[in-house]
Parts: sequence; C-alpha cells; structure tokens
Amino acid sequence: MSDAQILDRGYRRFEGKRSGVVGAMRSVAWHTVRSILGLGRKGRHKVFPIIVLVVSFVPAVAFMALAVLIGDLMQGELRPEYWEMFGFSFVATIVFVALVAPEAIVRDRRDGMFSLYLSTPLSRPSYLFAKVLAVLSTMSLIVLGPPVLWLLGYTFQSQGPDGIVGWLSVMGRILLAGLAICTIYTAVSLGVSSLTDRRAFASIAVVFVMLGASISAGVLVNVADLSANWRILDPITGALEIAPRLFGDRGDEMRGVSTWLVLLGNAGWTALGSALLFGRYRKLAAI
Amino acid sequence: MQFGSQRALDALDVTVEGGVTGLVGANGSGKTTFMSLVLGLRPPTSGSVEVLGLDPAHHGSELRALVGYGPERNLFPEEMPASDFVKHLAEVRGMPRTEARGRASDALWLVGLGEERFRPLGTMSTGQRQRVKLAQALAADPSLILLDEPTDGLDPVQRDEMLALIRQISTEYRIDVLLSSHLLEEVERICDHVVALDAGRLVAQGRLDVLVGHDEGVLVELIEIGDHPNALAEVIAALQLGGLEVRTEQGSNRIEVLGTDIDLIADSVRDAVADAHGRIGRIVRRRRRLEDLFEGAER
Repeated sequence: MSDAQILDRGYRRFEGKRSGVVGAMRSVAWHTVRSILGLGRKGRHKVFPIIVLVVSFVPAVAFMALAVLIGDLMQGELRPEYWEMFGFSFVATIVFVALVAPEAIVRDRRDGMFSLYLSTPLSRPSYLFAKVLAVLSTMSLIVLGPPVLWLLGYTFQSQGPDGIVGWLSVMGRILLAGLAICTIYTAVSLGVSSLTDRRAFASIAVVFVMLGASISAGVLVNVADLSANWRILDPITGALEIAPRLFGDRGDEMRGVSTWLVLLGNAGWTALGSALLFGRYRKLAAI
Repeated sequence: MQFGSQRALDALDVTVEGGVTGLVGANGSGKTTFMSLVLGLRPPTSGSVEVLGLDPAHHGSELRALVGYGPERNLFPEEMPASDFVKHLAEVRGMPRTEARGRASDALWLVGLGEERFRPLGTMSTGQRQRVKLAQALAADPSLILLDEPTDGLDPVQRDEMLALIRQISTEYRIDVLLSSHLLEEVERICDHVVALDAGRLVAQGRLDVLVGHDEGVLVELIEIGDHPNALAEVIAALQLGGLEVRTEQGSNRIEVLGTDIDLIADSVRDAVADAHGRIGRIVRRRRRLEDLFEGAER
C-alpha cells in the first residue's frame, strides 16, 4: 500500500507563541545584514562587500605572514602596536560605511518596506535600533576582524601577550575600541543617510561629511595654526584615537588633545548622528 | 485627530463589528488617518481607541502582531522573490522561521500565486502585486486585516477575483477585514458593515443591509405620450403639491419619489400619471445606496 497522501493546502490557525518586538528586531537586523553583504542576492551585490573585506584584511594578513617568516626581526620598532591595526584599514572602513548605511535604511523608504515594518510589532525606535544593530555588526567585520585576527595570529606564533590575563586584557581593549569606532561611524553614517531618499546621494554625503570634517579640522590646526583641540571635529581620526588611548598611548595627530576632549568629540558626533536619525524618522509618515 | 491646525478626524464615535467592514470616503476624507489610529501609529489628539481589546496607543506592538496590513502603495523590493517577501514579514510579525516559510507558501497558494511564488516582485503585474500584499497580510495568522484600496489598478476581472478572495478570508478563515475604498460599488458588494467618512466626519456607520436596504419611496420611469409632452412635469408638480419629495435627473424621464408610506406613494404616482395622461414604464421600490448617504450628508 502506498504512503502517498494529498494534504489540504488550506488555511491554518497559529497557536504557538509569537516572538514579539525582540523577534521582529532580530528578523529585520538579520535581513539587513544579508542585504548589505549581498547574501541571497545576485552575484553583483556580493562583489563590493567581498572586495572591501579582502582589502581590510590585507594588512593584518601581511603582518601575520611577516611574523611567520621573519618573526624574530619583527620585534621592537618594526612591530606595530595592536591599536595601530585599526588605522591600517580605515580607508576600506570609510568606503564600507558609505555604502552600508544607505543600503540599510534608504532602500526601505524607497521600496515601501518602512511602512510595512511599522504595521508589524516594530515601532520607529525599535525599527531604528534593529537597523543600528545590523550596521554595527556588519561594520564590526571590517573594523574588528583585522585586529582580532592579528592578535590570534601572533598568539599562535607565541608572540602574543603574556599570560591569560594579559591576553584577555588586550582582546578586551581591542573589542572595546572596535565597538566604539563602529558606534561613532554608524551614528554619523545613518544620520547623514536619513536625510535623502537616494542611496547614491547618501553614500556621497557620508564620505563628504566624514572626509570634509576631517580635512577641515586638519586645516584649522595645521594651516590656521589653531589649537590641536580642534582635532575633535574630525570624526575619522577622533574615533580611531580611542584605540591608542585604551592602550595607554596616543596617536600622532591628537597627541596634544586630552582624553576627555577626545571622548567629548566622539560623544558629540555620536549624539549629532543619532539626533539626525531619530529626529528625521520621528517625522516620517508611516502610512 | 488633529495635525497642527488641520482636523483630520472630528467627533468620530465608531464601533466596528466583525466580518468585512468597508471604510468609505473620498480621498482626504480621513480613511488613512483612521487606519493609522487603528494600527497605533498615531495617538488620537483626544478620545480613545480600542482594537481587539487593546489600546493601540499603549499596546501598539502587541496589537500589530495580531493585525495584517496591506498598504495602498504598490512599492516593493523589486529583486526579492514573493515567497521571501511574505516569509520575512511573517517572521517580523512573530512567526518562527520554519513556520513562516510554510505559511508564506500557503498564503501565496491561497491568493492564487502558488506557481509564481519564486518570481521576483519587480517582474509581477499590478494584479499579482495586489495579491502578494494580501498574502503578506494573511501569512502571520492575523485576527484583523486592514487593506488600503486593495483593488486599486485592477481590471474588472481581477477586481472581482480580489473581492471574492477578501470575502473568502472573512467567511472561511474567520478573519475580520477592514477595507478602505473610495469605490462604493465594491464596498456594497462584499462588506457586512460600513463606516462612511466625509472630510473627517462620520457620515454613517452600521450594517450595510440596514444602511442601504431600507425602502424609501419608489423609482418611477415614465413613458411620455406624443400629444402630452409635459406629462413628466405635470406628474412632478402634482406629487409635490401632494406634499411628497420628488427627485429628478436632468434629461431623464426617471423620478424618485421619497417617503416611507409606500402604498400612499404608489397611489399618488398612479393618480398623478393618469391625470397627466402619461404612462408608467416601470415602477419599483427604491433602495437606498451608499451614494445616498454621502448626498444626504452634503445636503
């Protein structure tokens, strides 16, 4: 006797538990991460994320290779500090930031998903938090990936920090610095992207604001001969400066700026980006 | 409900029963604002709203998990296959991933897109897109579905199919539907209840058969006789002289005689036509239509 059976494709009630706001945020965040990385999309959408990922990991991989090949010679001055790895891939990071944020939020406004999301358990703030989470975690791949890989590589080459406490301390500071950099860049890029409904314009605007502010701060200090404290207007260098400060060091460009001012500058950029983002979405019509 | 100095909804006291409810009114009458209040996307300026036993302003997330919404706009992520789109929104509305996948597929079959479910949304016709909107609203097993102009852009055949689907959702799956439309005819065809808005004010609400089903006089078509060219005018004058309200249509031989005593109206019409030497082509009891509610409001 055959086991074949015809199942009725009728409507079924759902008796299980619904995942609520947290589940909705998780789903939107994961969907956004996939969209940014081009997963489940045509090949052309994967090209750019792969190129940026490869480029951002090149310095870490190169230093690891050198450590394997000429490990003894790579001590002292020649060996970069752990925090310096954040700066090696900052160009790839800025380019990535300029494409990630528009992809995360501008598309939803153009293709009607924003309205649909607000008809679900998500509210404006929870929708934005899901987007922030997605951008933050995707950016972490670029920002945190290389220094973490580098630390692991050195550890396996027996050239890492001494003892488990020392190792955890270095890893903790790398994670903290990386998260801080991602948070600042996420806030600025999402804030700027919220102002336009065109992805290309948003990408250009993100680069323009970040590089423009960085160049302007440089001109104020180097050309107009103002105090080095004006460097806190630079969101790129200001965010990267968090890493050496966490390792008890100082970067060359902000050597004369106190840690409190560095924190204040970064807090200001984060607050400005967040205010732009949440302010813009508060006014956006849902349906 | 007020936006700055503009009052979008005014003095609204509405109770919506189960089944299919038509939210009717012209563009700008307040339908979309009403829907946003139901979804908890805007708090009322004054007064209160309760949907499925919940206050949307304070329990919006819990409420929206139980509500499916089909927007008016035909915007979609163009590259996304219909099945992924419906599955994703089912997940966002709280379905576990495996359940969402199965329900997305089922919902697309139910709206007649089973064979097309893996097609990107950008390649679908307007009719198919309207069905996808219905499928995504249905997939997460809602208690209430809100549909904003669900037949917009459809040809007559597609419109009939869509209306039949909406009716099926209510009668077979026992899901209440609130349907926004500016087409009174389609609301009359499938709705159990009506909420009629005009410029933010409530024009009428209640059961459709009560609102449009009352006998209110008769409809008379006169055949004019060649040697009595003024028969129609004489009939109208006689009826008005007898205290009856008469409505005429410009250039038509049809008149509507309003009133509640049908026998009296019929006798009066018969006598007036006989006196004017006219002939009755057709006389039927008049049914009040939804248009009459709006015309009544304007008067």
